Amino acid sequence: MSDVIVCPAPDLVEKRLELVLVEDRIGHYPEFRDFFIHTFELDRVGLAIPGYLTAPSGLTYALVFIGRSGEAFPSGLEIYAIVDALEPIGDAVLDTDLWAILKWMINGVGGEWKLDDLEATGRLYRIPALRTAAR
Amino acid sequence: MEIPPEARAQWPYAPRHAQVNGWRMHYIDEGEGDPVVLLHGNPTWGYLYRDVIPPLLQAGRRVIVPDMIGFGLSEKPTRETAHSLDGHAANLTALMRQLDLTRITLVCHDWGGPTGLAFAMSNVARMRALVVMSTWAWPLPPAEFHTRLFPWRMMHAPVVGPYLLGRHNVLAGRGVYLSVVDREKFRSSAQAVYEAVLPDPATRLLTWVWPRWIPIDAGARALARFEWLERELSKSTLPAMIIWGREDEVFDAATFSARFKQLLPHAEGPHLVTGRHFLQEDSGAEIATLVNGFMDRLEVARQGKGL
Repeated sequence: MSDVIVCPAPDLVEKRLELVLVEDRIGHYPEFRDFFIHTFELDRVGLAIPGYLTAPSGLTYALVFIGRSGEAFPSGLEIYAIVDALEPIGDAVLDTDLWAILKWMINGVGGEWKLDDLEATGRLYRIPALRTAAR
Repeated sequence: MEIPPEARAQWPYAPRHAQVNGWRMHYIDEGEGDPVVLLHGNPTWGYLYRDVIPPLLQAGRRVIVPDMIGFGLSEKPTRETAHSLDGHAANLTALMRQLDLTRITLVCHDWGGPTGLAFAMSNVARMRALVVMSTWAWPLPPAEFHTRLFPWRMMHAPVVGPYLLGRHNVLAGRGVYLSVVDREKFRSSAQAVYEAVLPDPATRLLTWVWPRWIPIDAGARALARFEWLERELSKSTLPAMIIWGREDEVFDAATFSARFKQLLPHAEGPHLVTGRHFLQEDSGAEIATLVNGFMDRLEVARQGKGL
């Protein structure tokens, strides 16, 4: 169904966490927060460990959940690519992986949030990863 | 931030800066006479008014055009919590007070509406008149466009917003392009300028933060402020004019200009001009003519009363 898979914590020796996307308000639509709570058992795990995903490129991504006093947890999310410590990450690879993560997320949030609408939005705004994924 | 090279031919104005609420705000201040303050919204900057400014100056007005903090040549905070409706209204208030402006004619577009009108309603003694264009000033109902999942709510949804609007700058580029009538002219003459002032994801934060401040249900953060705004506007006797884009699909003319007319029954208009949401791109000179005529009539009325 999805080429993005939740995975265990990878070995981080000789790896680097490269910050690639920041979301300060994951609960803007609460069903998105609920999706991450459910997927990564955040009610149980809390801030103890990040969530991890493998994406189509084979790279693993760490999802770091952010808490803010006075707000439901998590309030925000940082996405890091886990890359070889001294190697840069290719922008096209990163963009395609992030697009796949968005699709995985929208599919998981469900309800009124449909993949068709995400893809239509991507097409409207001519997102390159959509063309790459279609090949 | 410097003026983008692509903009210089149509933006010959001296950059000025003021510290407002701890942020560095860029503005221009040209000409002499009663001030006209031109307010932009998301994701534009003062450049939106490039065709409006010269005729106002030629008519002997003082023209002040601030760039909202987070846009244009102003400082761009990188934390979402730095942005709020009240904070942006306070930023504008700080500038207006530093310049000690009185007899202000405020021209409001998009988020320049809620922020500018909040300033106007809390500083009535400084005001002379209001002009509203493709904006709103009440809590609910929102525009039908803003309730739709495709494309609006999807575009700024959690994680999707920072990707589409942050990484890909879709609002300043294709978003504005889709919301003008003459798209070819926009593409060749303006699109690069709007994109250039938002050069990287961190500078584009406000493009997805503002959409999240639009009330679409009773739990919205800014509901109380919009309720206040609607209440104050309905009591306002400030001279007003309503200008709208005939082809506006975001705040459709039939619904939104009529609602302003209901709130401000004494207002001139609605005057319909060629334009979608960013009507200044298609009808800048015509908008300037309408504003000049409106201000001329106010002056004649003032002299008639011996004021």
